Amino acid sequence: MTKGLYLRLALDGIRKNKRFYLPYILASVGVTAMFYIVDYFQFSKTVAQMPGGDTVQATIEIGIFVLALFSAIFLFYTNSFLIRRRKREFGLYNILGMSKRNLFSLIVWETVIIASISLVGGMLLGILFSKLAELILANILKAQTTFGMEIPPNSILFTLKIFLPIFLLIMLNSLRQVRFSTAVALLKSESVGEKPPKANYFFGILGIVLLAAAYYIAVSIRDPVVAMVVFFLAVAMVITGTYLTMISGSVMLCRILQKNKRYYYKPNHFVSVSSMVYRMKRNGAGLASICILATMVLVMISSTASLYFGSENSLLQRYPREFNMNFYMNDFDGFSDENIEKIKGAVAETLGEYGGDVRNVIDFRTATTAGFLDMSDGTVETNVGYFNLYDTGSLDNGIFIFYFVSLDDYNKTYNTNETLNPGEAMAYVFRNRYDRDEISFNRGETFKIKKQVPEFQVPGEGVASSAASMVLIVPDIEAAIGALAGEANFNGDRIVEPTWYYGFDTGLSEDEQTKYSSKIWEAFKEKLPSENCGVDHRLFEGRALERRSFYSLYGGLFFLGILLSIVFIFAAVLIIYYKQISEGYEDRSRFEIMQNVGMTSKEIRKSINSQLLTVFFLPIVFAALHLCFAFPIIKKILLLFGLSNYVLFFAVTVGCFAVFAGFYTLVYKITSNSYYNIVSGIKED
Amino acid sequence: MSILEVNGVRKVYTGRFGGNVVEALKSVSFNVEKGEFVAIMGESGSGKTTLLNILAALDKPTAGTVVLDGMNLANIKDASLARFRRDNLGFVFQEFNLLDTFTLEDNIFLPLVLSGTDYTSMQDRLRPIAAKLGIPGLLKKYPYEVSGGQKQRAAVARAMITNPKLILADEPTGALDSKSSDELLRLFSEVNRNGQTVLMVTHSVRAASVAGRVMFIRDGEVFHQLYRGADSDDSFYNRIADALRLIATGGEAV
Repeated sequence: MTKGLYLRLALDGIRKNKRFYLPYILASVGVTAMFYIVDYFQFSKTVAQMPGGDTVQATIEIGIFVLALFSAIFLFYTNSFLIRRRKREFGLYNILGMSKRNLFSLIVWETVIIASISLVGGMLLGILFSKLAELILANILKAQTTFGMEIPPNSILFTLKIFLPIFLLIMLNSLRQVRFSTAVALLKSESVGEKPPKANYFFGILGIVLLAAAYYIAVSIRDPVVAMVVFFLAVAMVITGTYLTMISGSVMLCRILQKNKRYYYKPNHFVSVSSMVYRMKRNGAGLASICILATMVLVMISSTASLYFGSENSLLQRYPREFNMNFYMNDFDGFSDENIEKIKGAVAETLGEYGGDVRNVIDFRTATTAGFLDMSDGTVETNVGYFNLYDTGSLDNGIFIFYFVSLDDYNKTYNTNETLNPGEAMAYVFRNRYDRDEISFNRGETFKIKKQVPEFQVPGEGVASSAASMVLIVPDIEAAIGALAGEANFNGDRIVEPTWYYGFDTGLSEDEQTKYSSKIWEAFKEKLPSENCGVDHRLFEGRALERRSFYSLYGGLFFLGILLSIVFIFAAVLIIYYKQISEGYEDRSRFEIMQNVGMTSKEIRKSINSQLLTVFFLPIVFAALHLCFAFPIIKKILLLFGLSNYVLFFAVTVGCFAVFAGFYTLVYKITSNSYYNIVSGIKED
Repeated sequence: MSILEVNGVRKVYTGRFGGNVVEALKSVSFNVEKGEFVAIMGESGSGKTTLLNILAALDKPTAGTVVLDGMNLANIKDASLARFRRDNLGFVFQEFNLLDTFTLEDNIFLPLVLSGTDYTSMQDRLRPIAAKLGIPGLLKKYPYEVSGGQKQRAAVARAMITNPKLILADEPTGALDSKSSDELLRLFSEVNRNGQTVLMVTHSVRAASVAGRVMFIRDGEVFHQLYRGADSDDSFYNRIADALRLIATGGEAV
């Protein structure tokens, strides 16, 4: 009998507070559904069978824990609004004679109801939409999919394993709050007088300094590898800086404005500035969270989308021709014209057996070495054991791969007529900049850089590497290398390898390439064994074979980006909604007082409007600012993933921002409506 | 000369679908002279609050007129009502109605700032008032930092700072302890002696006994009124108490 009572009371409580409970329930249903879908990909056999599906599953394995942690924090946060609301009611029940123990049963029932709805509803929704998500994934990966419906039991179990404890923890938290407060405290919990926020100049200024420093780092880095390392530092600084600035900095600004009597005591500023102080104190953290979430969504979606849409482009850069071959010679004798003609002949013959022919050739002789370039004096240290990344001295310095290319090959490939004197070189710098007109290697060789050439097809391994590359076009490779040729690095490997790059298209269709590439390469190796052509080892890369792994990696990232973005946007919307609602209730009495004291409702509305607008658009303005400064550093990091199409990245970023801003404004319209309804006391039901 | 003329004011509240008609005020008529201190007494439900809302132009009467200093409230456009209230009326509420986001000083300045007064002249106006009310040391404090009595004094300062034609006080001592109440009432009579017209709605005989005239409202009508005449506070207190007893036991006007 009594059990029935608490169930009824719990149901009643949820129904009566539906303005608060409905969004919470929707949120937990949504988060559960989202989690199930992501989890579905981890266990689904259909996904595993897609080409590149294994890459997606590996990516998701990392993502799923981020998502679990995020879901927990998010549900806790939204639930805290609920507890604050419900405490009054609990206090009343307590005074009317319900013991704490009875209240506990009430809370337990409430949690059971909400958890059941969320888990059942969430998983049904998840199962429903998992097929759709699968189709989208298949489309992104350019893979085929079956039409069956799959419900992996593991996904359901795992979702339960994550979400049951989350709801349990939320319940324990509510119990704790009721357990440790008295009836009167519960009753009054909603109307506790607030101390006026003090301006904390230390944290306010620290926040601004952190942001400025992070921005400076982001725009001043030149080397992609360093960018990758520093990026996480910059992200941490921006997050801390945003929180400090929004929480302390905003209060500080308001206080400074208040000190300026001529500004402050104006009808337009008086009420707005003084209420803003309180609003910011209460909302600083929430706004900073929205800002960070927005920035994350934008960074994630724009970079993964750019990578995905740029895959073809990156593929072409990484694999300039359909067939790409590298021959690492024993010594410079392998560079002789006869030897190279011999290899070319064998390749053409083998390809011919499969109905293809060599066309659109790029080939050049090069000697490759890697080293650490000090931008301040133009010296290169090639013994790679001597330095590490964290000791680069300046952020401009970096590791380079150096390609020495002969002038003859350059003129032949690019149809030019350049000339060079001994000791002179032309340079092409990839993924970095080099402004000095001289470069000298640690073992003596110094080159005067005559000019920088506008284009050069950097070999695929250089594109694939995370380091920057510098091509030095010299009159004679062997002479240029000089003493370096005999050196070994700390591993005992020789530091200069004479390499002949040979890239060409085949005249075979994509399907034929996929089928025959490996066979052609094997047949060729048999026809011309290494010892017959002075080759130490050789490497073959077929574009058609690599295309699939490119799409699965970038497609997987893009897909994960979309999923996480949906979750983050979802979170941001809910934070905004609860913020507006809870503020509406708090502002209501203030609204009345102002009216009594002689403020017209028009004046009040105007003032509230300007406050809402400020509070609302602050996060997105900050997000835009973050994004602007993040752009250069992300651009560099994307280079590591092979994306050098800045225009694409820029367009995608602007597009994402526009969509996001539009969506955000829509949410603003909806939530501010319910805010006005509350302050003006209009009942919704 | 009458500063406030209330003629045959009637107020009827109608339920949502035309049913449930409640007559809060039947027909109320009275005048308040310039410089007078009038207390209105009545039990809960007698129509006191309705009357006060109508006088404050927060509500409109169903019939009858309210004229403040020659202006008929019914003729003031909705858009300028708030400005009218701000310039002509001062309010003191039972629950102080101070904004917790402002210091006491800023709370007091609020009506002036809304009228666009500049900072120095606001301060010039505040100084004598604050001194009279004994709050100069509290001006930079926030409402949550001071006692109820101090809050109410700040509220009185806010009501006075615009030099209103009439101060309307709604149970001003309702939320105060007896010592603070006495002090506040003393302030009210002092303010009144300096020429300020005050109209106070109250339950408390103690509060009413400092007024110059007490009107009793019952069932939406002015049922009876008493003038202080030459009485001291104490003897006026006794007369009010007697009148209330008679009214409560159903007697006719004395």
